[in-house]
Amino acid sequence: MAEGGDVEWELSKENIQPLRRGRAISALHQALSQQQDGLSSAIHQQRQAFESELRMYDGDDPLNVWDRYIKWTEQTFPQGGKESNLATLLEQVATKFTEEKKYHNDPRYVDIWIKFAENCPEPLDIYRYMQVQGIGVTQASLYIAWSEEYENQGNCRKADLVYQEGFKKFAEPHDKLLQFHKALQARVSRQVMMEVEEDDSDEEARQAERVSLADLKHRGKKKAIAPINRAGPAIRSISGGLQSRSTPVLGNASNSRMVIFDENNIESAGPSEHKLESWLAPPTSRAKENEQRPERWCDVKMPQKNKFGHTVMAPPPPKPSFQPFVEESDQPPTMTPCKINPAVNTVLSSRKPGREETPLKRLQEHRQQQKEAESGKLQEQSMYCKELLLSGATEFCFEELRAERYFKKMVPKSHEVGGQKDQPSASASN
Amino acid sequence: MSLFGANTGFGAGGTGVFGNTTTDSHNPMKDVEVTSPPDDSISCLAFSPPTMPGNFLIGGSWANDVRCWEVQDNGQTVPKAQQMHTGPVLDACWSDDGSKVFTASCDKTAKMWDLNSNQAMQIAQHDGPIKAIHWIKAPNYSCIMTGSWDKTLKFWDTRSPNPMMSLQMPERCYCADVVYPMAVVATAERGLIVYQLENQPSEFRRIDSPLKHQHRCVAIFKDKQNKPTGFALGSIEGRVAIHYINPPNPAKDNFTFKCHRSNGTNTTTPQDIYAVNAISFHPVHGTLATVGSDGRFSFWDKDARTKLKTSEQLDQPITACCFNNNGNIFAYASSYDWSKGHEYYNPQKKNYIFLRNAAEELKPRNKK
Repeated sequence: MAEGGDVEWELSKENIQPLRRGRAISALHQALSQQQDGLSSAIHQQRQAFESELRMYDGDDPLNVWDRYIKWTEQTFPQGGKESNLATLLEQVATKFTEEKKYHNDPRYVDIWIKFAENCPEPLDIYRYMQVQGIGVTQASLYIAWSEEYENQGNCRKADLVYQEGFKKFAEPHDKLLQFHKALQARVSRQVMMEVEEDDSDEEARQAERVSLADLKHRGKKKAIAPINRAGPAIRSISGGLQSRSTPVLGNASNSRMVIFDENNIESAGPSEHKLESWLAPPTSRAKENEQRPERWCDVKMPQKNKFGHTVMAPPPPKPSFQPFVEESDQPPTMTPCKINPAVNTVLSSRKPGREETPLKRLQEHRQQQKEAESGKLQEQSMYCKELLLSGATEFCFEELRAERYFKKMVPKSHEVGGQKDQPSASASN
Repeated sequence: MSLFGANTGFGAGGTGVFGNTTTDSHNPMKDVEVTSPPDDSISCLAFSPPTMPGNFLIGGSWANDVRCWEVQDNGQTVPKAQQMHTGPVLDACWSDDGSKVFTASCDKTAKMWDLNSNQAMQIAQHDGPIKAIHWIKAPNYSCIMTGSWDKTLKFWDTRSPNPMMSLQMPERCYCADVVYPMAVVATAERGLIVYQLENQPSEFRRIDSPLKHQHRCVAIFKDKQNKPTGFALGSIEGRVAIHYINPPNPAKDNFTFKCHRSNGTNTTTPQDIYAVNAISFHPVHGTLATVGSDGRFSFWDKDARTKLKTSEQLDQPITACCFNNNGNIFAYASSYDWSKGHEYYNPQKKNYIFLRNAAEELKPRNKK
């Protein structure tokens, strides 16, 4: 039995997301065996129980239920994904208790925030937000997670600065912080040694290829040591070549007016300098490059003539002067030729900027709304128990809330209801 | 208040029963009170079908019971019978001949109540509380449709303990309506599924919700040929959507409107938004009534897109409403709908069912 389970675990290793504190092997076996036949009713019932507990709880530690729910979710859905609702839960709980000062340095709450940050596209923003809000500023785990994120992005200097900040705040437990800081220093020094030894031209080419394919996520927290400098000349040539091939309209014609973003030139501030930000308005999205700001069109002069003296309306994209190298075995990608003029294509219109939502943005909007509600500035207010209906990962209706309360009341009172439930259609008629 | 004074007459000779209305806000519309109302919140109301002589009203409640009253022509109500479930009753409906009543309950069962013999027997079983129950009368079959929080929709022929058919839904059933050959089910997470019932029930189409908030009530409306053509869907956030299944011009024909909100968007105080608890269409005029958590009912003309009337505010939410078969009587139930959670529940508060003359007030304004 145990052997079979081991094999099963081995077979689906790639479907298991790593957890900071590891996984219980029994829970893993159970989860993997159950999920082969869809979402089992046992899981469903357990989740429903948690959902109802969230709404029924009236003690003085509501975080306890959330904490258990999230840990259960992590264990039960080893592959993560949408059906686990983990991201929703984390966002909900993080938002829910931002005003609760007593939880701000509760290790459970800080852990939840760190998990939330790791699920976000921009974890660094979240960590800064936490610092400004005072969430977890005396917890070593915040600084460790924050520093690891910097390290993964290749910024070891800032990774170190984060630890300094942690020491300044006397984050607890001190030993742990110290230990992780030492480990960081060791890794950095080892890396420096290796870089000196290795021939770096080969390394560079490999890195360049990685960037051009996709935005890679760094999974392994401890071992993944990314190089600091990724924007080498190799990258530029490759990405430039791609650009002129796929979107010729945007190519060289307008190149002279374009400012190329270079992350090395931007002197972004260290963690301590972010303290003064008020965070009233959501920060502009940092992930975007080459974003064009709105400007007055009437002031812009269009170049009327080219050097030959002809009037040019739309200069045709110049053909690349080189022949792109194609491997002999390489087949051209099968693509349907695009018949629609991309300029007037409404089917594949670009996403509207207003719709773009990051978890952090939502979080800040929520806070903003709360503040407005307190000051009575709100235009509309819902006259029902919204926080009860929309708590957790699924919504409840009024009747479900009431039924939960009814069942809770009935269970200790009499076992008749329970008996009836267990034997379906036994007493069909009277 | 005096504005509506002329309308409070009920039926032909209903003046005699108004002596007992009081001035407090439990009955600001001065409508006829149904005698011996249920002891807990009223979850559903339904009038007997046109095949039956006279008017009978059934109402299910959170006190686990279903009651039946006879509504006499002078407006007086006589309690006739009652049946019990082992859990709160969430929905009830009539068979087309009016001989039977079907009830759905939190005890995960549905029962068939034979009014002639006053016997009730279980006819359906789910894994969760049953939220909606409807009688389907097709030329080649008749059955009971039950929608449950166990995310299934089941069809029962009342004689077998097993369902004729069971359809899986993406979410828990929150409300449903049936007008042969169409059925609509609105679920949690804003799901909306239309079923066709010809030959046998099958899923017809899933519709993206026209509303942004949780679905709460749905009612099918008919076209001039008396065929079902669309539905009205109410949300917890004071809004109703009118949605046609196959409109000639979807962008124009489908629309939503606000309702059950406190007045004034431009005032300094914020606008209070309440849940729409039930929608019912007038069987003759095709106009509709909505009732809300704010304790008001409103009458609307969806074709002219106008409001016909809004009631005074009752001291409790209105949880259910329905019209009788010829559209002369509008029944509505005043009780707590749990919209503010259990802290606001007062078991001592009395629940009421009121009857109102609906013959005139629901006429479309400019109809010849």
